[in-house]
Amino acid sequence: MAQTPPYVELHCHSAYSFLDGVSLPDELAYRAAALGHGALALTDHNSVSGSMELAQIAKDAMVRTIHGAEVDLSDGRHLTLLVEDARGWRNLCRILTRAHAHTRDGQALGEPAIELPALLEHAQGLVCLTGCAERGVRDEPTVRRLLDAFGPERLRVELQRPYARHDRARNRALEGLARRVGIRCVATGDVHAHAACRAELQDAFVALRHRTTLDASEPLRRGNRSHVLSAPRAMAARFADHPHAVRETLVLAERLRFELTRDLGYSYPGAEDADAWRRLAELCRSRLDERYGSHAERPGAAEGRRCARAALAQAEARLAEELAVIARLGLAGFFLLHHEMLELAREVACRVRDRDSARTLLAPGRGRGSSVSSIVCYLTGLSHIDPIANDLLLGRFLHEDLRGLPDIDLDFPREIREALIPRVHERFGGERAALVAAFPTFRARGAIRELGKALGLPPAELERAARTADGWERPGEHDLPEGSPRWRWLVRLVAQAYGLPRHLSQHPGGMIVSTRPLIDCCPTVPSAMAGRQMVQWDKDSCADAGFLKIDLLGLGMLSAVERCVDEIERVRGERIDLSRIPFDDAETFAAIQRADTVGVFQIESRAQMQSLKRTRPRNLKDLTVQVAIVRPGPIQGGAVNPYVQRRARVLAEGVGGIQYEPPYEHPALREVLAETLGTVIFQDQVMQVSEAFAGFTPGEADGLRRAMSRKRSQEAMASHRERFLAGAARHSGAEPQTAQRVWEMVSGFAGFGFPKAHATAFGLLAYQSTWLRVHYGPEFLCALLNEQPMGFYAPDSLVHEAQRRGIPVLGLDVNASGVQCSVELFHEDARRGSVSPSEGGVRAAEGGVRAAEGGVRVAKGGVHTPGGSVGAQNATLGVRLGLGYVKGAAVQEVRALVTERERAGAFRDVADLAARTATSRPTLERLAWSGACDAIAGSRREALWQLGMAAPAADLEDGVQMALPIELPATPRLRALDRWQRLLADYATSGVTASDHAMAILRPRLSAPLPSTSAQLARMPDGCSVTVAGLVIARQRPGTAKGTMFLLFEDEWGAINLIVPKGIYESRRALARAEPLLLARGRLERREGVTNVLVRELEPLERHVVAEQDGERQTASVGRLPRRDPGGVGKDGQPASADEEHEAEASEGARMAANMRAVAPPVQSFASGRRR
Amino acid sequence: MQAPLAGRALGLPRAAGVRARAGEPYEVDGLRVEAVRESWLVEDRWWTEQSLRRRYWELLCAGGRNLVVFHDLAGGGWFTQRV
Repeated sequence: MAQTPPYVELHCHSAYSFLDGVSLPDELAYRAAALGHGALALTDHNSVSGSMELAQIAKDAMVRTIHGAEVDLSDGRHLTLLVEDARGWRNLCRILTRAHAHTRDGQALGEPAIELPALLEHAQGLVCLTGCAERGVRDEPTVRRLLDAFGPERLRVELQRPYARHDRARNRALEGLARRVGIRCVATGDVHAHAACRAELQDAFVALRHRTTLDASEPLRRGNRSHVLSAPRAMAARFADHPHAVRETLVLAERLRFELTRDLGYSYPGAEDADAWRRLAELCRSRLDERYGSHAERPGAAEGRRCARAALAQAEARLAEELAVIARLGLAGFFLLHHEMLELAREVACRVRDRDSARTLLAPGRGRGSSVSSIVCYLTGLSHIDPIANDLLLGRFLHEDLRGLPDIDLDFPREIREALIPRVHERFGGERAALVAAFPTFRARGAIRELGKALGLPPAELERAARTADGWERPGEHDLPEGSPRWRWLVRLVAQAYGLPRHLSQHPGGMIVSTRPLIDCCPTVPSAMAGRQMVQWDKDSCADAGFLKIDLLGLGMLSAVERCVDEIERVRGERIDLSRIPFDDAETFAAIQRADTVGVFQIESRAQMQSLKRTRPRNLKDLTVQVAIVRPGPIQGGAVNPYVQRRARVLAEGVGGIQYEPPYEHPALREVLAETLGTVIFQDQVMQVSEAFAGFTPGEADGLRRAMSRKRSQEAMASHRERFLAGAARHSGAEPQTAQRVWEMVSGFAGFGFPKAHATAFGLLAYQSTWLRVHYGPEFLCALLNEQPMGFYAPDSLVHEAQRRGIPVLGLDVNASGVQCSVELFHEDARRGSVSPSEGGVRAAEGGVRAAEGGVRVAKGGVHTPGGSVGAQNATLGVRLGLGYVKGAAVQEVRALVTERERAGAFRDVADLAARTATSRPTLERLAWSGACDAIAGSRREALWQLGMAAPAADLEDGVQMALPIELPATPRLRALDRWQRLLADYATSGVTASDHAMAILRPRLSAPLPSTSAQLARMPDGCSVTVAGLVIARQRPGTAKGTMFLLFEDEWGAINLIVPKGIYESRRALARAEPLLLARGRLERREGVTNVLVRELEPLERHVVAEQDGERQTASVGRLPRRDPGGVGKDGQPASADEEHEAEASEGARMAANMRAVAPPVQSFASGRRR
Repeated sequence: MQAPLAGRALGLPRAAGVRARAGEPYEVDGLRVEAVRESWLVEDRWWTEQSLRRRYWELLCAGGRNLVVFHDLAGGGWFTQRV
């Protein structure tokens, strides 16, 4: 019989003691089990963020969990609180909530702490230990106060032995204190790491937390490894002088039996409402006729209207089925609660939107995720997708075996969501509503920067190392410079820190509501945004706790669509209702099929564009598949290539008239995989295959799906496999090999994938945004620019791409720009600051660029005449960049400047601008350097010069004191910026240039042989050798690509896709990851209309930049762009030698590259958004 | 002019003759250890080329003399040190 361990650890920190603990709950649980611990208490600093996670894992690890926290008192001392029963848990939650209540009162995030009297009020159900060796309570009066509140059975003097000097003396003194007061002592280990290999990281975290270095933090660090979890026997030996304190750990642990996973007493509003089902059924039936009856209008005229009666019958049957499931699961209140949320959103939308604006035609929000498949959601407004018309099955969302609560996710335009969240708090009460937490984890780049700083490594080298590291991969030795032990340690520490939670943050939109105060279930803490609070648990822990989580998500494209319809109405007087546009628009699908989709929702990425050209979606159903296919699930499951090949057969079928029958692994799969041509593309198909092929019940199938999508799933997947293979033989009579292949199709889907319902909802928005882009290009571009950050492309790329389509983009101008970008009607000769390809130095004729195709020409008065001409009054719609784009310009000052211009007319000159506005000098200088004052000053340099002389207005409490009009002295003749300098200034100030593309400037200065342009590539044969160059706008290295990197170059004619094989990437890693301007040599590959360059060599473009022609060279010799002396004079005053010339050219290229590196626009990176 | 004082580190460890049982000293430089007052552990500067791993002992020796010695756990050897 196994012996009872002699010691239980009652004081242990996980990584949820941010920047202090260095191990995850699962690491602690499994290590504790391996060391022979029978129980383990988690006592993170002022937090229970890891409690539910530990409670779930501990069941597997066979270690009993004790819950608690180490709480900071307001005088800086610590107490360790352990939960004895449910009341104790409630009190701990209230104590922690109170401790965090004022952490957001000031500018900076404050430290949580609670006054002792407030803590003592919540003593019931808790066991109190007097705290750690460093900061525990040791004075007798305080211990007596604790005794009064907790009583002798629930208060212990805590002894620790961290092998620091004076340990013995302190523990002897504490024992004396315990004797005097009449309570017992208990030993604890103050664990901060599960294993010795993390001990160094704990030191580094201490330095990080105190914003200092390891060298400077000696007094703050623990000084040894005694904080590592030890075996019970070792701990008993450590406290050999205090055996009674060791025994007391067992006594206490035996009493601390609160089970977090069993019952928190949570319920959501409406859960116990006996009348809820009747009300829900009435609500749905009242809308059934409206949606499906004879009055219902079906979108998509070309597809014809459905027979109303048949649709109604189908819908009635489906509704009855769903309501029956909802009744059996007791979820009617759940749906009514979500419906109430949507009604709140409707109310908020009315407040946020202008009453008369075109936006009011749009729904306040729309569903996403699997809930879109529900007819109840459709009828209650929680979804905008008709599940009958779109053949959406309910099983993924709702089935009779469902355990827990289903998810309903709602997307809102950002500004509606911003106003909705406080409204929900208000509606349900601050105590009963909170956001869900999220825990950003250490990734390679951040860890290199932070831990490198703690190690005292040089900042410049650290930054270089960070930029070349893969943000989402553990770094290896090759990522960092070789050298001193500090660099070697950095590699180890970064690898150890990778994936540990860094701090508490806010989930994008998950909200919890409760019938009882939430702070009895989980502590809440103030969120960064005033008026909001969040629970200390993330979405997984909330789900494990059985909390109802409502996802109120902000979706940038919905916001952009709102802006776009508003702008269309403003410019053209048209009111667009996106639910009633034609859904079979030929122009829209033509654009989709040629992947002319930059900026649109979901199908704009490099990978999506390549896929679009192959699959050529022809309707919304095709688009639904398209949206879902470029996801890790279908990619890892091996669905993409078979689908694309079979799709090509289907497309050919239309031409040859041959009926194509896709292959299926087994006849049982025919029905469930028909729409995806025998491949698994939708998440629901995982469940459908499991049911149809392996005979799983809906509950078992859903269990498999959940096991795939959650992080704690490895072992669970193994048991599902066994059942799947056995089920396939029993249910379908499948051969073992066939069953194994189907399992691989299914289990390969373990990465992220879309349910069909979600893909349908996103596919619709993809179509709607493409339709807007096709028919209202300028307004759509304008909306995208105003809604940044969003989407795949940086504003600079969006602008260049729009210019190539013939949409003029005008630069910044203090006399024309608003705060935000706006659509303007202007004549051809008024295109100041805008350069279409024809003005960029190379002609459109060079290569198939459809220069004016997307340009929308309108007559004065705003009459929409796409592609039309209205004679002498011809004018074009274009986009004017907004002054808000100027980085570093104070927004309120820019707003005031625009207001003043609208009030009293255009600014005459710089003196007038400075005199009439109280704009600060830094803002004026940023505006001048951005080119926004060129129209009134002549040039950027002249504007800056004049600003130095101009008298500014003063900003007074009751208005602006204008400066006296003073005539400025004449500006001396200043050399204008050349094209490259203007480009750098544009990028430095606004991140966008509406003038020359970098490649348009550099191409004439590149040494022979000149690289091919993106336009020329279109005419080159498959397999030929090519050299290309460009500005990097995307670099992606997804985990599914097995080390290959995908680069997207942009030149003055378009984009170039490059594939960088693993070997080339590894050898040119720094270049590939960080250099903005590159030259690549390789082989051109063209398949099914998709062109790629398979890279053989990668070089910095700077090596190929040669000196300018004399005529150009004389334009300037300026600080940001130094040049060689005119005439090729060498260092010694003699004519330059060939070597010197080469050196000068090389150094000029290097300087240009360095300048560009400092200001280059952000680049899209895989899974981590755009960054520089 | 007065010559500058030469720099000299203070409190540097000195090698000591220590006899120990199960890691615990019972004799230092011939002096019998009467009692162990305190013992602590220093594991530090691991990120440098001079990493430290020392077990310190504060001892009461025969004759009432207080001594602090440490065992170098990395390089071996016993040392006395004023701390």
